Amino acid sequence: MSLLFKQRKSPAASSNVPGHRVVMFFIRHLQQAFASIGELWRMPVASLLTMAVIGVSLALPVTLHLLLKNSEHLRGDWDNAAQISLFLKDNIDQKQAQKVVNRIKLYPQVNDVQYISSEQALGEFKSLSGFGEALEYLDTNPLPSLLLVTPTTQYSSPEGARDLLQKLQLQPEVAFGKLDITWLEKLTAIITLLEDGVSSLGALLLLSVILVLANTIRLAILNRREEIEVLKLVGATNDFIRRPFLYTGIWYGLIGGLIAWIIVSLILIWLEGAFVMLADQFGTEITLAGLDFAEFLILIALSSTLGWLGSYLSVMRHVYEIEPENQL
Amino acid sequence: MIRFEEVTKVYNGGQQALNRVNFHLEAGEMAFLTGHSGAGKSTLLKLVAMMERPTSGQVYINGHNLNKITKKQIPFARRDIGMIFQNHRLLMDRSVFNNVAIPLIIEGYHLSDIKRRVAASLDKVGLLSKLNNMPHTLSGGELQRVGIARAIVNKPPLLLADEPTGNLDPALSLETMRVFEELNSVGVAVLIATHDLGLIARMKYHTFTLNQGQLIQDGLSSTDLQESEFEPVI
Repeated sequence: MSLLFKQRKSPAASSNVPGHRVVMFFIRHLQQAFASIGELWRMPVASLLTMAVIGVSLALPVTLHLLLKNSEHLRGDWDNAAQISLFLKDNIDQKQAQKVVNRIKLYPQVNDVQYISSEQALGEFKSLSGFGEALEYLDTNPLPSLLLVTPTTQYSSPEGARDLLQKLQLQPEVAFGKLDITWLEKLTAIITLLEDGVSSLGALLLLSVILVLANTIRLAILNRREEIEVLKLVGATNDFIRRPFLYTGIWYGLIGGLIAWIIVSLILIWLEGAFVMLADQFGTEITLAGLDFAEFLILIALSSTLGWLGSYLSVMRHVYEIEPENQL
Repeated sequence: MIRFEEVTKVYNGGQQALNRVNFHLEAGEMAFLTGHSGAGKSTLLKLVAMMERPTSGQVYINGHNLNKITKKQIPFARRDIGMIFQNHRLLMDRSVFNNVAIPLIIEGYHLSDIKRRVAASLDKVGLLSKLNNMPHTLSGGELQRVGIARAIVNKPPLLLADEPTGNLDPALSLETMRVFEELNSVGVAVLIATHDLGLIARMKYHTFTLNQGQLIQDGLSSTDLQESEFEPVI
């Protein structure tokens, strides 16, 4: 595009093949993208250090994410352990109790109901507690009959089980019910807290990635001040000048993301043994889940975007600021 | 080609660099711009290259008022102006070829076109054999000529040169001037800022003399210019 002399032809305008400009646009972008890799390769140690900083910064939130993801698995298993204990009133005999059992079994939310009579309960208590002899002296059985209700998986979450408990407590034969989910609620609360912690920590670390890159690109720009001035003198647009820096930022982010992935994979291998032992202790058989392919892609896309953003912030400020002066 | 109308430039801080300057460089004309250091030569060239904006008055290139060129349009307008600097301003970490090719890369030429045009441009300044040299292997005169090759590689209709012979010995200076004359003979307008009065005296071209921001002489160069030592003639 010639502004002052209309008769001059620029190469883009002289092309009469439709679509040629678009093709050339992409070719030039590709050239600049690869040129900026070459630029990084010229200072391999410095470039790699920056990428490592980005990799480590990203590895921490990713590891925490995996920790949470795996604890979700564990929690999923424990959720099913939610059981509702219904204590029947003293005057309910076995026959009446059986009726209640049959009635409750018809509830769509209920998976199974187990009846434990007061005698059974006493027997169990005698054998387990070690008070066997002492209990013989009791005149009456102090233990109530008990119904153990296992909800369906759909109703075994803390909220679902609590709803079900409220309904079951309305049965006239039931004295009171108990849902032993406080520990489950505590675990949920802890995990929620951890999730929030990870989110804020993650946000901070992502911010630090942006800042590290903005500073790295700032130094790169200032190092090439002379070149930028010359480019501006011979008619380069700001877009043209900033493009290689933006690509450099993207490469930093992308390779930093790959480094983060490698670090996390190594940590997973390191932790696998300990985790399996822990899972054994809880009687569950789970393997440690790593990043799946989608998460890997998200990580790489995120780190590249952060790289672009960091360099964009720097470029907007510094490339526009540099103007050729005092030299003509 | 270049026309100044009542152009005044006052820098921040009150230093007046140009005071109501009027002059006209014809299309295809070659002319000298001379005067003491600080007389406003550089400011005048900067106004043409849009590195500075006039405080008042108008600068025209090919009839286009530069005041109406927006900041975004400046790069495109600069592609029509070849610029040559006293310190050549080459990028020392790139080969001669890559230096000369810069304006073509910016404009998005094909690599085959770039190779052809860079070779032609270097041939014009007699340095085709140094195509793949790094700048630090060249002499001062050769570097200056590479700078000229870069300025003319996209065939701008207008060339600006700021003390192009400032660092060169007389023989090299004359050689450089011959390159400008050659370019001028094919229709390129050339404006050369210099205080090399001997050089000006030998070449009969239109000379604009600046003194303390005012244009004091607008005519063909003559030997009495040397004797008057830039004393105001008016």
